[in-house]
Amino acid sequence: KRFYSLKVAPKVSSSATAEKVKLSPESQNLEITKLPNGLVIASLENFSPASRIGVFIKAGSRYETTSNLGTTHLLRLASNLTTKGASSFRITRGIEAVGGSLSVHATREKMSYSVECLRDYVDTVMEYLLNVTTAPEFRPWEVADLQPQLKVDKAIAFQNPQVGVLENLHAAAYKNALANPMYCPDYRIGKITSEQLHHFVQNNFTSSRMALVGIGIKHSTLKQVAEQFLNIRSGAGAPGAKAVYRGGEIRKQTADSLVHAAVVAEGAATGGREADAFTVLQYVLGAGPLVKRGSKVTSKLTQGVAKATGKPFDVSAFNVNYSDSGLFGIYTISQAPDAGEVIKAALNQVKAVAQGGVTDADVTVAKNQLKANYLMSVETSKGLLNEIGSEALVSGTHTSPSAAAQKIDSVATADVVNAAKKFVSGKKSMAATGDLGNTPFLDEL
Amino acid sequence: AGGGRLLDRIRKWYYNAAGFNKLGLMRDDTLHEDDDVKEALKRLPEHLYNARVFRIKRALDLSLKHQILPKDQWVKYEEDHPYLEPYLKEVIRERHEREAWNRK
Repeated sequence: KRFYSLKVAPKVSSSATAEKVKLSPESQNLEITKLPNGLVIASLENFSPASRIGVFIKAGSRYETTSNLGTTHLLRLASNLTTKGASSFRITRGIEAVGGSLSVHATREKMSYSVECLRDYVDTVMEYLLNVTTAPEFRPWEVADLQPQLKVDKAIAFQNPQVGVLENLHAAAYKNALANPMYCPDYRIGKITSEQLHHFVQNNFTSSRMALVGIGIKHSTLKQVAEQFLNIRSGAGAPGAKAVYRGGEIRKQTADSLVHAAVVAEGAATGGREADAFTVLQYVLGAGPLVKRGSKVTSKLTQGVAKATGKPFDVSAFNVNYSDSGLFGIYTISQAPDAGEVIKAALNQVKAVAQGGVTDADVTVAKNQLKANYLMSVETSKGLLNEIGSEALVSGTHTSPSAAAQKIDSVATADVVNAAKKFVSGKKSMAATGDLGNTPFLDEL
Repeated sequence: AGGGRLLDRIRKWYYNAAGFNKLGLMRDDTLHEDDDVKEALKRLPEHLYNARVFRIKRALDLSLKHQILPKDQWVKYEEDHPYLEPYLKEVIRERHEREAWNRK
């Protein structure tokens, strides 16, 4: 099995017309099946010596209720606890022994457990992966020992002010579901019980809400595994609440001399033309630095804000899509005395785009940046797994990179302008952290 | 079948002769607390742990006064549950697993 990559490698010949074997992950090599119980299986055989398998589940922090907040956070940390088939010790040592790794990644809407290892040891790590996702035991003493880890995890995450601002932003923007924090609230640390974890898993880790994705593994193997082992819980589980946007603001006064502020309005849900338009608008306005340690001079937002202040600042467009809602707006980092000017200048830039102040050339540049970013993100096996898994989970299909690029190209300048108009006219939400003396309230913007 | 009944009667006689039931203790209360037992005790659910602590306290009090319980309060052989045994077995199994791994 290890010699797959050598077998298909193109023969090196000096002829200029040598046939090159196509190894790029186009759709024709990716197989996707949907089982009758709702489970989606996708696999891509790319003949690589390392395999990566992931179980994606529609079970994020949005499915918590006010009585069990923080459960998904603890669940994220609980991936190595004892299961029915293997003790915690054995899972850790077993995966280490074959040189693999097990990791959990969770967003507000989904959780993904993924293992990666050398091709030969796929059976071993697959066994542990299935154990962890379908048959965890959550022994009370193990769960109790894990709770202090919540504090450590939170402390590490909140070293980044952005994390706090985004949590507050979601809490301000939504009434329920998406407003749930991704990190366990302080009052719940130490109080999450084994029964709550079990309850959450029973209600949310069901076959019709799961997708099993593999890269570097045969489709038939995955299918067999899924039919035999992932049939435990069928049904759709507990339905999540529909996210209701409310538009509020949360301000956190700290001693920080840098003010982080995010001002958003309701954006678009995933899929659909509106989502693509918002993403292109994000790149038109400026989303993230393109040159490492550069000063983002080409970003519209940066240019606009640079006219308002000479002190250091950072501004970028913020865009996030969920299955039934989204957020779009701007995220600014500025010195405390300048905060008001920076935010207003950034918002004025978006208004300018909404009034038609964007050329086709700008939109093309943005589209190219977006396409490059997307294609580069699916180049790694981790990014690719994530992409295939998320799409398989939401729609049970796969869009090849070339089809995705075409979708981006089909966005017209008018769509971008409409998206900007939607932001300007939409009810805003805001979250700000830092020394907020000069930071305007929502009604002052 | 007859042999089984006999063994059972011998067990019951030995239990009563041992005498800890006269202090209101169960068999698992009297286990010597080595590392495995300590770990298993950490895993006991709260109500079982509290009952154990109560029984041991009561027994210590009686022994200090050189008394025993009245006969109707002695723990009967049939009522003595090995409550710690499943947890203890699991702890020992985990220890064996760890040792087997470390030996390889």
